[in-house]
Amino acid sequence: MLGVISCMKTGRKSELPNAELALEDPEVRLRNSALAARGITKAFPGVVANDRVDFEVLKGEVHALLGENGSGKTTLCKILTGFHQPDEGQIYANGKPTRFPTPASAFEAGIFMVHQNFSLVGPLSVAENVVLGWTQTRNWRFDKRKVEEQVFAAAKKFDMSIDPRATVSTLSVGEKQKVELLKALYRGAKTLILDEPTTVLTPQEAKQLFASLRRMAEEGEAVIFISHKLDEVSEVCDHVSVLNQGRPAGMANLREQRVDAQSLAKLMVGRDIHLRRKETTGLKPDAGIVLEIRNLNSVDSNGSAKLKNISLTVREGEILGIAGIAGNGQRAFAEAIAGLHLYGGGEIRVKGAALSSGNVRRSIEAGVAYVPQDRLGTGLAPGMTISENISLKSYRSVTHSVGPILRKKAIRDDTCRLLAEFDIKGQESSLVRQLSGGNAQKVLLARELTSDPNLIVVATPTRGLDVSATETVRDLLAQAAVRGAAIVLISEDLGEILDLADRIAVICAGEIQGIVDAEGAEIDAIGMMMLGKGSKENDSAAA
Amino acid sequence: MNDLLVVTLLASGILYGTPLIIAGIGELLAERSGVLNLSVEGIMLMGAATAFWTSQSITEGPSWLALTAAILVGAFVGILVALILTFSVITMRANQVVSGLALLIFCGPLGLSNYLGTVGNLASSTGQHRLPKLDLFGLGDLAVVGPLIFNQDVLVYFSWILTIGAGFYLTKTRAGLHLRAVGEEPNAADAMGVNVVAYRYFHTLLGGALAGVAGAYYSLSISVNWVNNITAGAGWIAIALVILAFWRPLFVVIGAYLFGVVTSLGFTLQALGFKLPAELFSSLPYLLTLFAVILASGRLSKFNLKAPAALGLPFRR
Amino acid sequence: MLPLELRFERRLETAPWLGPSLPILAIFVALFIGALILWTTGRDPATGYSDIFQAAFTKPGALTATALSATPLVFTGLTAALAFRIGIWNIGGDGQLMIGALAAATSGVALGHLGAWISIPAMIVAGAAGGALWGLIPAYFRARSGTSEVLTTLMLNYLAPLLLGYLIFSSKSWWRDLTSPGAKVFPQAKTIPFDTFWPVWGADIAIPFGFVLGIFMAVLMQIVLRTTKYGFEVLVTADSPLAGNYAGIRTKRVFITVFLLSAALAGIGGASQIGDFTYRLEPRTLQFAAYGYTGIAVAALARYNPIAVVVAAFFIGGLVNANLSLQGPELPLGLLGVIQGLILLFVAASEISARYRVVARYKSRPPIQ
Repeated sequence: MLGVISCMKTGRKSELPNAELALEDPEVRLRNSALAARGITKAFPGVVANDRVDFEVLKGEVHALLGENGSGKTTLCKILTGFHQPDEGQIYANGKPTRFPTPASAFEAGIFMVHQNFSLVGPLSVAENVVLGWTQTRNWRFDKRKVEEQVFAAAKKFDMSIDPRATVSTLSVGEKQKVELLKALYRGAKTLILDEPTTVLTPQEAKQLFASLRRMAEEGEAVIFISHKLDEVSEVCDHVSVLNQGRPAGMANLREQRVDAQSLAKLMVGRDIHLRRKETTGLKPDAGIVLEIRNLNSVDSNGSAKLKNISLTVREGEILGIAGIAGNGQRAFAEAIAGLHLYGGGEIRVKGAALSSGNVRRSIEAGVAYVPQDRLGTGLAPGMTISENISLKSYRSVTHSVGPILRKKAIRDDTCRLLAEFDIKGQESSLVRQLSGGNAQKVLLARELTSDPNLIVVATPTRGLDVSATETVRDLLAQAAVRGAAIVLISEDLGEILDLADRIAVICAGEIQGIVDAEGAEIDAIGMMMLGKGSKENDSAAA
Repeated sequence: MNDLLVVTLLASGILYGTPLIIAGIGELLAERSGVLNLSVEGIMLMGAATAFWTSQSITEGPSWLALTAAILVGAFVGILVALILTFSVITMRANQVVSGLALLIFCGPLGLSNYLGTVGNLASSTGQHRLPKLDLFGLGDLAVVGPLIFNQDVLVYFSWILTIGAGFYLTKTRAGLHLRAVGEEPNAADAMGVNVVAYRYFHTLLGGALAGVAGAYYSLSISVNWVNNITAGAGWIAIALVILAFWRPLFVVIGAYLFGVVTSLGFTLQALGFKLPAELFSSLPYLLTLFAVILASGRLSKFNLKAPAALGLPFRR
Repeated sequence: MLPLELRFERRLETAPWLGPSLPILAIFVALFIGALILWTTGRDPATGYSDIFQAAFTKPGALTATALSATPLVFTGLTAALAFRIGIWNIGGDGQLMIGALAAATSGVALGHLGAWISIPAMIVAGAAGGALWGLIPAYFRARSGTSEVLTTLMLNYLAPLLLGYLIFSSKSWWRDLTSPGAKVFPQAKTIPFDTFWPVWGADIAIPFGFVLGIFMAVLMQIVLRTTKYGFEVLVTADSPLAGNYAGIRTKRVFITVFLLSAALAGIGGASQIGDFTYRLEPRTLQFAAYGYTGIAVAALARYNPIAVVVAAFFIGGLVNANLSLQGPELPLGLLGVIQGLILLFVAASEISARYRVVARYKSRPPIQ
């Protein structure tokens, strides 16, 4: 397997006979490249994000930049587009040395990056967003109607149906991404960089996106596709370059060489990992019901429905995955259980005890643990110490306070115990802000799991964590399930849900579209349900 | 006919409203870029002090020259003070509220404006130059509209042009589009190649210049002398006006004239012989601001008239 | 543009030297720029500063006068320290102090005949209640609909002296003294009975009761914040209101109570003005002094630490005392605000250095090979 992947570190070339072998020569690739980097090094305090990275994308190819979270993919692309300046190294556009002191200078060279969380201004219209910052026209006037017509024409040319007058904040995520692509096309971008574009899309939307990317490549444009998902990389890309902890770990021509996921994964991580399903399940046949939700409804301040008639149950030791596109009511659902969201109607019971709408303390007392999506800021107070964060919920309890006075020593002792137990690198007095993402998540989990909760609600628990931290977090959740906790796992990453959950409930527009067993679940069917087009009949297991 | 109470009230409404418009539009532009400048009151006091000092120092030559120089000095000093603020809040990413208050104290009634008043011996001298009324097209004697529209001084006309210009700038130019984007989503604007830092610097400095001019209006037109704390909180009312106008230039004018009328109500009614405690009238603009700000944030905020989303927040790439 | 660029590099650990050194640096920078201003306007900074230093700290009676000036600043400093810490921009210390003074004068005049043991505590309570009352409207609307408390507290700062002025100068209200001979020449407020004058301690340096009360309040505040459940709720809410909600802390309640407590502290400062110094309402004096704004500079200099507020108040109190007693053409009063403003500005602008290392370097262009 290693033979087909030329190692960039050593500059060793592929040994297989290859019709286009000449193209694999770094010098030749550089000369033919649309955009290239040689020896890029970029350090941030405490971390070297890019370490002597070589990279290039040719005209007419879709080139995947593969790597784990924190491997330096995004940093490299930000250097290629003028957001960051490299400490060392050289950028080449069309094979010629160049530099981009600002993002605007990269645009002028026809390089456009679609950022992971988009670069859109919500209150402005689609047309205004598309022309924002575009300085090629020397016209200082801004004629709204004319711009709208231009943008409409451009959208038509590229076969996109989008209303240029619509306010961007009212669009769906998929539509927002179309606006981003439209921005690039309107500017006549020759090189397009997409940073993890599929995380917010359904499988079907992703397919559409891949089709557009392929079309652009056929028209001679270069596309850089940042991802950490192996399957979509091999589906859409011609070439793949792998980064591992800021170092180039290898590259492969996917059109000519068959490369399997396992070897790519090994390059990404630098060691063997098992892409595995969880081995143990805590679910026993006679397990009792922990969470019972009946007809949960809620409306937002504008009166439109946020949650529609949600009914489901979760049993002891069971992991229920909630799949869906971001922004379809997952947050409201999780917060309703945690007592943070005021819901209008319906009933939530945990082990028979009814929760009350918007009452956090009641939820905590009923044994609900909640690991929210935004770790720092909601789940943890970033400017406070680990020990203060550990006592964030328990400071009211008799173990941590007497009357109005805190028992500081007891809190410190408990914290030190948890630091050891969960293998957290930090002092009880270090600020949470200064922890790495993985350690912060462990602090959060330590606090939430130590109370031996009946129900654990977790939202995207591994987002932004590296592989080993991800494994730890997943193991902790699995162990909690084995100990008998019911777990509601909310994630945009369908793969994670398939790996961990016993059953999968799909949510769209605040409504549960269906609940299926994870064993033998069909991804296409789930994808349809994520779009709200699936069957609404519940699996028998939901009853 | 032009002695009618209504006309007198409106005329003094315009007099007291003009500095509110000029400072208010300046603050509006700064806030649209995401910078909350709380030092407007201090900058106005500095503008008033330095402009008065300039106009008093120039004893020779035509009056308009002295006045022009005075206004320009006011604007220049406004830029200088705003430059300290921009460096603190944009470059050093300091808290905008604390930095604004710091500059207010620095310039304020116990600060540099007072210092300059003492050093320049401003309080003891009576002003020698007052902004003249320009009788436009000779229509100043026309009934009602004459004194209100055709017989005003140059800064009143400037304030009108400024308002229309600001409205045009925000909606009909590319720079205006960029400004709106910078105040809403600076990171998105940055990603699209808009120089966020430059936009913030420029519009905050422009706001400072306008606040300086607004201050100059006090010592060149409203009072034509110097007393400590001459603006008496007008800078704060200008900041409130921006909120009440929902960050739209035209509404600033309406609000400014309303406050102008309310501010002058006391003087006008007293001149007409009404016997009511002075404190009552003096408190009206502050009371009005208090209630209006409460109202604007409660009921009206439900409509889509919110502050720029990035207002008060530092920008970091 | 300058070829120089500032870069911010994240510190992985908070630098321990920052806490004590920043305020001292701030004072030096402020004094230096103040000296520049004195020098450019033809005054001699060396003489000016040595006069100020003597008048503030070394001349006979200077420390007594400084303690007197520092007393209200301890309270307004605590007001700002408590509120700013949690992100409440209560700049209404001025108005809250005045209404506190009004309430304390009311209870002093009304209950003075009951003796010091009743009337002095009553004045303190009344002052706190008056201050809190003046903070109630901003606090309520901030919590309910997010109304900018900067503007509401500020407007109330302008309204408070007008209310006091109306009661004493423009009406024949209960508070106004209509009988004494002095009051016939110039309108003035009723004086509290001699029994209710607050005690003064010390022989060489007279320490007013209010100053001691201020120290007590600072210590109390520190203890409550550091060791109680309520204090923990305040600190969590200050750091991250969302985390507070998430943990089941009723953050709105915390916001309102902190706002009211901070306003009450200013109100006690007002009570001390009546009980310690003026013995009757003097609207003009209170308005002119602008204790509330000075308190913000005090709090920033103390970096919002209650105990440090006492020290900072004593320092700034010295400046206030010196500048007031020396004011004149050679040492204009405005120097006071200049130095305070610069201190506040410097502390605010250097806050970033706690989390980032600021590196100034000449812009180098990335090499083209």
